[in-house]
Amino acid sequence: MTPAQLVKVARIQLVNARMVLGLPLLVLACVLAANIVIFMAIQMPGEPAITGALVSVYIVTLVTHIQTMTQMFPFALGISVTRRDFVAAAGLVVVGQALLYGVIIWVMALIEGATGGWGLGLAMFDLPFLQESNVVTQVLVYAGPFLLLSFAGLWAGIVFHRWGQLGVWVLGLALGALLVGLMALVGSQGWWQQVFDFFAETPTLLMFAGYPTLIAAILAAATYATSRRAVP
Amino acid sequence: MSAVSLRGVTKRYGDTRAVDDVSFDLHENRIHGLLGRNGAGKSTAMRMLTGQEVPTSGQIRVFGENPYENADVLHQVCFIKESQRYPDIFLARHALEAAAMVFPNWDQGFAERLIEEFRLPVKQRVRKLSRGQLSSVGVIIGLAARAPVTLFDEPYLGLDAVARQAFYDHLIADYAEHPRTIVLSTHLIDEVADIIEDVTVIDRGRIVMDDSSENLRSQAVTVSGPTKAVEQFSDGHEVLHREDLGGFTRVLVSGVPTDRETASLQVEPVSLQQLVVRTTQFHDAALAGAGNGNGKGVRS
Repeated sequence: MTPAQLVKVARIQLVNARMVLGLPLLVLACVLAANIVIFMAIQMPGEPAITGALVSVYIVTLVTHIQTMTQMFPFALGISVTRRDFVAAAGLVVVGQALLYGVIIWVMALIEGATGGWGLGLAMFDLPFLQESNVVTQVLVYAGPFLLLSFAGLWAGIVFHRWGQLGVWVLGLALGALLVGLMALVGSQGWWQQVFDFFAETPTLLMFAGYPTLIAAILAAATYATSRRAVP
Repeated sequence: MSAVSLRGVTKRYGDTRAVDDVSFDLHENRIHGLLGRNGAGKSTAMRMLTGQEVPTSGQIRVFGENPYENADVLHQVCFIKESQRYPDIFLARHALEAAAMVFPNWDQGFAERLIEEFRLPVKQRVRKLSRGQLSSVGVIIGLAARAPVTLFDEPYLGLDAVARQAFYDHLIADYAEHPRTIVLSTHLIDEVADIIEDVTVIDRGRIVMDDSSENLRSQAVTVSGPTKAVEQFSDGHEVLHREDLGGFTRVLVSGVPTDRETASLQVEPVSLQQLVVRTTQFHDAALAGAGNGNGKGVRS
């Protein structure tokens, strides 16, 4: 697989870039507008306000990448693209998109700071638990969850494409069972305090960029493995 | 030389053998007809030789290499199928732009002429295209890609007769200028009979016919006349189909006995469609273990 080939397949995935890259940003803009309107209506004067609406753009990105595998993947295989090239190119698109969105959110956070929280003291981008001291790590902190959720979307998408709704249910239940099992283990061993300490003490960069990237890498490998025997 | 070869290829889904120990070649720079009934295994065979499915057993070679996940080989292969779906976010032109990026021999000027001719609304959402317009997206990609191996699997569902003829005309004209290996898989055998040079018929996952259409047509005739004379004529040859009416008999016989007495008989050429249909029925009847009332599947 040459870099040129990889870029070519990535361009196929972005042939309608306006939709792929633009839609999540459009949703973000709408959500911001909606939040400004809502907080103008309800906010008590002088009280700072925090909204979790930023999560919307992450969710939309996850959904678009489910469709990358359920719709773009079968089309690409139909025009003679290999699974390996497609998944590698999807990874390239996801990483680029995560960094692009990371920068955009960083810019939005700057605007938010400069306008005194959109004139309302509203914090939607510059969230206290995400703050970093320099630009690079700040962008990475915003980008990390995009990586994680995008690769999760790719994997969920290929699982759905191969095994349908049943496959997604089984996967979801299996992950749920794993989580419950872990919680039971933590409970029985009396490790809850250490778990809370872990979340409290892990540096923001590691929490929002380091670990998500690690998990994203595992999800990328799972996506590739699942795609090997997928048919368009 | 063969561009594509299948050797002992089997594809099983659970208990069903969609393709059962199939061997055939697609010769370089020829137009092949891959024919057979619904569910005969044609599409499965094409999906395997384009690397989209993996055979359960057997060997597939495209330009001497295994096509599965082989980008160098696959870029030489264009597979247009009726069931092709396009991403919901696509306009018609996005599908063509994507294809233009993949296929090295893509001819943009040719694609634009075809868009004009098939009246494809390129700025329309793919989801809003009619069945026929969707088919023209595939046909345009298949022709303009100029892939050394191009497969059309029922490419023209919903296309009107004029558009189908336009497809055939362009296919022949472009093939003459840019020879390549073409596979046409269709149920409209009469329409493609004059185009296809080699015929492969697949039934219940097995090859029942594989020859040049010239050979096939020269070997088979319909003979009618008094029963006794017809039986004498066809003696020792494969009777694919037989109809009796009073003392009068009509048979479709393959392996033409040229030296036989034909004075009291009427001998007519057989259309490719008839030959394919009767051969398939004959094969089915033989598999069922007995002839059916209409087509007596017996070797005389």
